[in-house]
Parts: sequence; C-alpha cells; structure tokens
Amino acid sequence: MRLLLAKDLRIFGRSPGIVAALVLYPLIVAVIVGLVVRYAGDRPRIALVDEDGLPAVLDVGGQSFDVQLIFDRAAEDVELVRLTREEAERRLASGDVLGIVEIPEGFERDLRGMVRQPEVKLRTTESAIATRVVEKVQALVYVVNLQLQRAYIEANLQYVNLLKDGGSGSFLGDDFDVIGLAEAARRLDRLAQNPDPEVQAEAKDLANFVRQARLALESTDDSLRATANPIQLEREESGGRALILSADVQAYALALTLGFIGLIVAAAGIAGERDENVFGRLTRGLVRLWELVGEKIAFVAVVGGIIGLLLAVVFGLVVELGNAAGGEPWGRLPLVLVGVVLGAAAFGALGVLIGALAREARAATLVAFLVALPIVLLGLVPSSVVPAAGGISQALPFAHTANLLSAALADADPAVTVLREIGWLLGLGAVFAVLARVAVRRLGE
Amino acid sequence: MAAGARTLLSARGVARRYGRHVALAPIDLDIGAGELVAVIGPNGAGKSTLVAILAEALEATEGSVELADPRPVVGWVPQRPAQYGRLSPRENLELFARLEGVEDAPGAATRLLELVALPDDGRPASELSLGNQQRLNLGIALLDDPDLLILDEPTAALDPRQRRRLWEVATATRDRGGAVVFVTQNLEELERLADRVVVLRAGELVFEGTRAAYESTPEAHVFA
Repeated sequence: MRLLLAKDLRIFGRSPGIVAALVLYPLIVAVIVGLVVRYAGDRPRIALVDEDGLPAVLDVGGQSFDVQLIFDRAAEDVELVRLTREEAERRLASGDVLGIVEIPEGFERDLRGMVRQPEVKLRTTESAIATRVVEKVQALVYVVNLQLQRAYIEANLQYVNLLKDGGSGSFLGDDFDVIGLAEAARRLDRLAQNPDPEVQAEAKDLANFVRQARLALESTDDSLRATANPIQLEREESGGRALILSADVQAYALALTLGFIGLIVAAAGIAGERDENVFGRLTRGLVRLWELVGEKIAFVAVVGGIIGLLLAVVFGLVVELGNAAGGEPWGRLPLVLVGVVLGAAAFGALGVLIGALAREARAATLVAFLVALPIVLLGLVPSSVVPAAGGISQALPFAHTANLLSAALADADPAVTVLREIGWLLGLGAVFAVLARVAVRRLGE
Repeated sequence: MAAGARTLLSARGVARRYGRHVALAPIDLDIGAGELVAVIGPNGAGKSTLVAILAEALEATEGSVELADPRPVVGWVPQRPAQYGRLSPRENLELFARLEGVEDAPGAATRLLELVALPDDGRPASELSLGNQQRLNLGIALLDDPDLLILDEPTAALDPRQRRRLWEVATATRDRGGAVVFVTQNLEELERLADRVVVLRAGELVFEGTRAAYESTPEAHVFA
C-alpha cells in the first residue's frame, strides 16, 4: 500500500495543471456561492406605484408624517423605486423589479378617517425569491404600521386627556366641548353641599365614580403603549468577523474544496488503475482489493490534508491581516487538520465507490463532478427549511465536514461537536469503503 | 502435456460469463513443465479470457486454477500494455519489482531495461512507441524470473529483432524446466515453437493436443 501511495503522490505531483484546477475550481465555486449568499441578503428592488398621490407630509391623528422619511427608513430592507403603473408592470415582467407595492386611490382618506382600514397592494412574480420579497414588504408595512400606531395612540390619548381635563375637540369632522372629569368632580363637590340629603348622597356617589374614573384614566397612557406594543425589540450591533471571514464561510469553503478533491481524485484514481490496464496485474497477488481501496482513500486523505491545511493557513492569514476578532486561527490548526483529513478520507471512500461503479477514468471524473455539486448544495440547505435535504445530507460527508471544521475554527468548547462529527465521518467512510470494496471487483472484468 | 512432466498449473472447469454472455465455456487444462503451449482461435474466441484466468488476472465465474507446490512464479504479459503511463520505464520496473518482493529492485530494473533494450532517459512510458511499451510490458513480466510465462499476443507490436529476443527468452524458460503459454494469430510462430496447441472457438475448447496432432487434424485448421 505504501508503494502505491508513493506512486500516486509522484504521479499527482507531475500533474500541476490538475492540482491547480482541483484547488482553484472549488475556490471559485466557493466565491460564487458566497456572492449568491450575499445577494440573498441584499435589498430587493421593488416598484412603488402611488395612485393616491400621497403628499410629502401626511397629517394623521393630529400628527405629521414625513412620507419620504418613512420610505427612506424602509429602504434599509428594500429598495423602493417610484414608478408609474405601466413602467412598474414592464419592469416586473423583465425582472428589473421583484414586486410592485401599489398605494390605491383613497388610501390617504381611509388613513385619516380611522374608520376603514386602508390597504396597500403587493404583486410579485412566481420567482424563487417571491417569498423573500413578501417578507421584506411585510417588514416595510410593519414599520409604517408601527409609526402610525404611535400616532393613533397619541391621538387617542388626546381624547383621554380631553375627558380628564376638558376642552374642545373634533371627531369625524364634528366639533364638540367637554367639561372634563376634573371640572365634573368640582361641580359634584359643590352639589354635595346641597341641603337635600338625597341630592347630597347622589352627588357624593357620582363624585366618587368621577375620581375613580380619573385615577383609571391617569394610567391609560402607559397601558395603551404597553398593549399596543407588548414586546419591544432592541437591536444592538456589535463588532465581529465580516461575512467573508466568518468561521462558517471558511468551513464551507474548506469542505467544498475537500468534496471536489476527494470525490474526483479518488474516482479518477481507482478507475485509472483499470484504464492503465494495471488493475489485473496488481490484483493477481501483488495487492489485495482492500489494500487498493485503502490506498486510494489514504491518498485522498494525504492530498486533501495538504491542500486543506494550506487553505486553512491562507484563511488564517486573511483573518489575521483583517484584524478580525472572534477566532483562533493558529491555535486550532491541529483540530482543523483532523477535520480536513477525515473529511477528505470520507469523500475519498465515496469517490472510490463512484470510480469503481463508473469503471472508466473519464466517466468516473464526470460522474464524481456531477455528484459533488448536489452533495455540496444539499449540505448548504438548512434542515429547518427542507427537512428531507437535511436528512439526505446526514448520510453524506459534506455537512459533517463543514460542521466539524466550523466547530474547530470558532466554537469556544468544540469537543462535543468535533467528536460527534468525527464519529459520523468515520462511520460514513467505513460504509462507503465497504461498498467500494464490493464494487471494485468489477474493475477486473 | 508430456507424460511424467511436472504440472505447474491446473485449470479445472474454468469459465467466464458476463451476464448471459458466455465468454468462456468450462475448460480443463494442465500446463506442464518444459512445454510451449499455443492458444489459437478466431477473434472473440475467448483466448485472452482464458490466459487472463490462468494468470489469475481475471476471476473465473466457475471452476478453479491451481498452481503446483512449491508455487511457481508466473509472469503475465497482457495483450495491451499494463503499466503506468506517467512513470518512466525504470520507475515502472522498480515499482513492480518492489511489489513482487524482488530484493534488489533497482538492479532488477537495470537488468530488464538492458534485456528488452529500452531507453532509460526518464521519459514517461506513455511517450514511448507502442513497440517499446510492449517491451516494457514484457520486462515487467520477467522481473521475478518466472517459471511460467503467460503471453497474450506478445509479438504483435514488436520488430523482428525483438520478436527473436522474446522467443529466445521463452524457449530459455521452457528449457530450464518452466513453461510458456502464448496466444498467437501467427501460424508461423505456432508451427515453429509450439509443443502443444489449444484451439478455441466462440468460447469453447475445440481442440487440444500436440502440434503434430494439430497438424494432422485438418478440422482444427479450420478454426484457427
């Protein structure tokens, strides 16, 4: 096995183009995935069609709203572009905008009237990210609702104050005067001086009621605010690694590289023994099939270990140069090495199985390449989003390699995760190796 | 096989099937010391399958191959060169010498490079001519001084001088008490060298006997 391993490493070393491709290709894919992830977190562009002609400043409940300011605040989540209906339709069809928010005629009237709930209409395409557009617009509506809610509360509190203190007000266009509970209490106190004991008793009862009502209304302010917004979310931003430097991204990039290298090198390596017509020569007593399978897995583990470690060092340097907090790139290198070697070995075992089934090196390389991408993508889908993908991913090495490396790079106490994922990788590697040993017999046919 | 000769290899009921296709029907065959056995037959007759099974490079789906005790060293020259294209001839020879347990692998490689007259300039084997690749193929088979040499159309890509050299090695193996089994389409080689002839057709053994018997059996010629 040692002789074949040395032979494979020598041949591999003589193929700088293949080595470069095997390192660069997954890195390029990792960058593309990173860009996609970044785009996924970006603001979707949405058309705003204002059919009602909202004024720059809107008075609701006695409060003034700077409409543009509201939209600017919402622009943290979505990019709103004011368009005519026709232009918005055209751009939605072309995909330039991902949705249309329409403010229909009468919106301002309904809003001011506080009787009929004003509506905003949202239209999206049936694209893959329509759900995200809906979520973003819901967030926008939530923000606007929150501000209006505050205005309504202020307006309602004005009525409460009018009830407490008295004065002039208007509702739905009708003006009115109110004496207020304070004045009512004073008048009832005066009435309680009446010599008629029956009047005195009724005046006292009414005065008591008025005082209790005043006490109750005194706490209306806080109660209204509390019940309107039971849970307040306070957001604090803290320093940390930028996305590009995060342990997760490093772990995924490493696992992705190991996946491609492991599958392709192992598949091409085992099938190459047949293509060179050497398989028969080797297996006629020189090498046992178990040794041949084990040698290919060991070869991939060595190659993957070297390339993975080099990449981890490069990532560590980037983290160091970027002066990013939240990681220990050098102290964790031994643990990372364990991760890349075991991950590469598990992928290698699967690659040998693929190579043995495909039989020819070209076919094996193509199949390994085709298999690598879905394995990686399955591992990127959160199991909470698609449980089936999570289940399938559990039976493949990518997610376990990424979890192990992520824990090795960033967890304060990585022991439990690392040991669990080592167990998974050893188990999966053993299963694929047994299957590969069975399949590799076909290479001699 | 000559009476009283030591049996080096004994195949009993060996057959090879690929699904429903029968590449080789069950065959019994003994190879004795001191003989050159030619295997002939039209294309697709099962010749390569038979010798690959005899060389234990291909598993028989039925039957078994047994080697004498003490176990003779078997050298195998497949029809298509079996070597690593990205390694030089010397690296190939040293690698297989080490795998076969030859003590002085570099020395064995040097000896074989001279025997088969291969250039030792470090070029990878894939850059050699087909003839030189076939020489390397032969060199690897001879690394451990085999007692039984199994050759599958070994002279197809060789020039006349190398052909002569090959048959010198083959007859020397036979003369020192070994044996040679060779597949050939060349009737001249058959008539000049073979002690025994095995004729296959469509996976079936249709003749097996001495060269004299073969020459006196006109039906056998029809199959060749």
